[in-house]
Amino acid sequence: MSDHEKIKEQKKFWEEVALKMALARFKMEKSPSRFYTPLDVEGFDFLEKVGFPGLYPYTAGTYPLMPYTAFTAKGAPPAGKGLVRASRYSGYGTPEDTRDYYKGVQQRGGRGGPNLAFDLPTQIGYDSDNPLVRGEVGKVGVCVDTLKDFEIIYEAYQGDLNLDRIASNFTINAPANIIIAFYAALAEKRGVPLEKLRATPQNDILKEYVARGTYIFPPRPAMRLFRDSLTFLIKYMPNVNVTSIGGYHIREAGATRVQDLAFSMAIGAAYLQEGVNAGLQVDSFAPKFTFNAFGGSMEMFKEVAFQRAARRMWAKILKERFGAQDFRSMLIRQVLGAHIGCSSTTAQRPLNNLTRAVVGAIAGAMSGAPPIVYPPYDEPLGLGWSLEAQQLSEDASRILLFEAKLSEVIDPLAGSYYIEHLTDEIENAAWEELKKIDDMGGAVAAVENGYMQREIARSAHERQQRIERQEDLVVGVNCFTDEKELDISINRIVPHPYDENKREEAEEKQIKNLTEIKRARDGRLVSRLLGELKEKAKNETENLIPHMIECAKAYVSIQEMCDVLRDVFGEYELSEI
Amino acid sequence: MDHKKPIKVLIAKPGLDGHDRGAKVVALGLRDQGMEVIYTGLRQTPEKIVQAAMQEDVQVVGLSCLSGAHKHLFSEVARLLKERGMDDVLIIAGGIIPEKDIPLLKEKGVSGVFGPGTSIKKIAQYIRENVKEQV
Repeated sequence: MSDHEKIKEQKKFWEEVALKMALARFKMEKSPSRFYTPLDVEGFDFLEKVGFPGLYPYTAGTYPLMPYTAFTAKGAPPAGKGLVRASRYSGYGTPEDTRDYYKGVQQRGGRGGPNLAFDLPTQIGYDSDNPLVRGEVGKVGVCVDTLKDFEIIYEAYQGDLNLDRIASNFTINAPANIIIAFYAALAEKRGVPLEKLRATPQNDILKEYVARGTYIFPPRPAMRLFRDSLTFLIKYMPNVNVTSIGGYHIREAGATRVQDLAFSMAIGAAYLQEGVNAGLQVDSFAPKFTFNAFGGSMEMFKEVAFQRAARRMWAKILKERFGAQDFRSMLIRQVLGAHIGCSSTTAQRPLNNLTRAVVGAIAGAMSGAPPIVYPPYDEPLGLGWSLEAQQLSEDASRILLFEAKLSEVIDPLAGSYYIEHLTDEIENAAWEELKKIDDMGGAVAAVENGYMQREIARSAHERQQRIERQEDLVVGVNCFTDEKELDISINRIVPHPYDENKREEAEEKQIKNLTEIKRARDGRLVSRLLGELKEKAKNETENLIPHMIECAKAYVSIQEMCDVLRDVFGEYELSEI
Repeated sequence: MDHKKPIKVLIAKPGLDGHDRGAKVVALGLRDQGMEVIYTGLRQTPEKIVQAAMQEDVQVVGLSCLSGAHKHLFSEVARLLKERGMDDVLIIAGGIIPEKDIPLLKEKGVSGVFGPGTSIKKIAQYIRENVKEQV
């Protein structure tokens, strides 16, 4: 009898005798738990399915080693200040407020460049003085109208933190090219060569139509702007990443794990195709694609398998569909591995979110990535994380790394019957969904016809129904709740890094500043540049970024440029739910 | 038994915030509860929302905002509804609304604020108990 048959026989015995007796004892019809065996991974081929970390198909990990172990190569313990250091997604109020915030970060030991959050008017291409945006200026991020605002923010970055020494991160999509132009113009004014700039603009417009919602133009012209950024950056700013593709937002908007993976892959493939259509060799630009993490949930094993499947799938798409040969083209470069989602956190009993985020970080370490405890526990309570919450998540990550030593082994669940089975299952389902999108004509078509939007809303609705029926349980929300709940209060002793009064005053201040800039600049030059922008926009083959840099230097505002493009391209209108 | 007309609800996203999962889930959920729900889509000005509320003759307006602009936007919708003589419309709200902002919103005319984790059942029950019957 072969091993295979012996296991089959034993499985039968287990199900019909051992399991049956246990079920009878607990008066259950069906077992609530499962057990996986070699039968679930028949024909498993290690090199084909997993391979070594940093080698195709990258299932085990993007890189050959984990640089985050307890002792560095020189045998010394890791250095660093006790207080939070990492440059987290941040920015609020006026450019002055954000400049001062980053100076504060530096006083607490921060050294890296800013990871800039822009307010919604900026993200949607409106100026602070537009009556449509009342109430939104400086709220979810810093307001940026003209190059002047970048000059102010970056006053915090000079000398040994000058633009050639730091990397900046811009969460910007629809007007990404204008922000890139601002950064380039700022560098030119400071005498820093463009090729020395390091940055990552999010520049992932397609997901904005299906999640997050900061679109301006219809998808086709938006893809032309994407192409402009790709070809410009590769040629003139080779150390700037082209995009940071975000399955994260898609899942947060309600997508299932499989939708998250398939939609992200479809969107990524659409961006790759733009580069190819522009006549570039895929290996000349694909290494500059990054990922802004995929989505997460509390289901630890599934998130681990998901990350493994994502790495394998992206590598296959690059190699098999696009004919990439350079291994760097095939890597999913992202800051996080598995993690929970912000939508996994609860406003009820918020300290529980620390426990949740730790589970996500353990999943991260199991998924071939560092254990990053994200988000800080006060995520659902309002805008901006408190220093206490940031400190707790930073230290929790350190505890998992240095005390629990979670990063000593890469992809420790590799070879597990369950995890390998699950990885295959998720990947196969995502290929099937991707094929559906390909048959529609790809990601752009699936956005235009509203398919992705509808599917995500349906998934979000189904999740809510499962919560209401108590099929999905959320502690403190739909179970284990009580009238006389112990209210664990959180003392706020340390001041919040964002000054709330400043945030409230930002709108008025910024309107005043912008009015002054618009008055002081050369109005005739502005009109001429905008007229030229319009002509260039009409010519599909023209790359608009060099001209946007000229506009930036003349203090043309974001809305002024976007309005011209709105005229030429039109605006996107959302289909119904 | 006479069949009552379904309660008519407008779910709206005022301002520039694009986080519409909550708004859509509430819209679809209230439909499951037998209400007639209209969803405005993103980026609505308070003026547009109030016009839609009048045009559709709704009894309930549900506002969702996660961008921190709720104080200005919700108050403005409430003010305009009052100004147009639609005082009897029930205004409810959701999103990321810090606890300390709720008294101000109530003072301005928002009747109930339902944060993350609220069940659709609870929102539906609140609407049924507080909505003004149509004459």
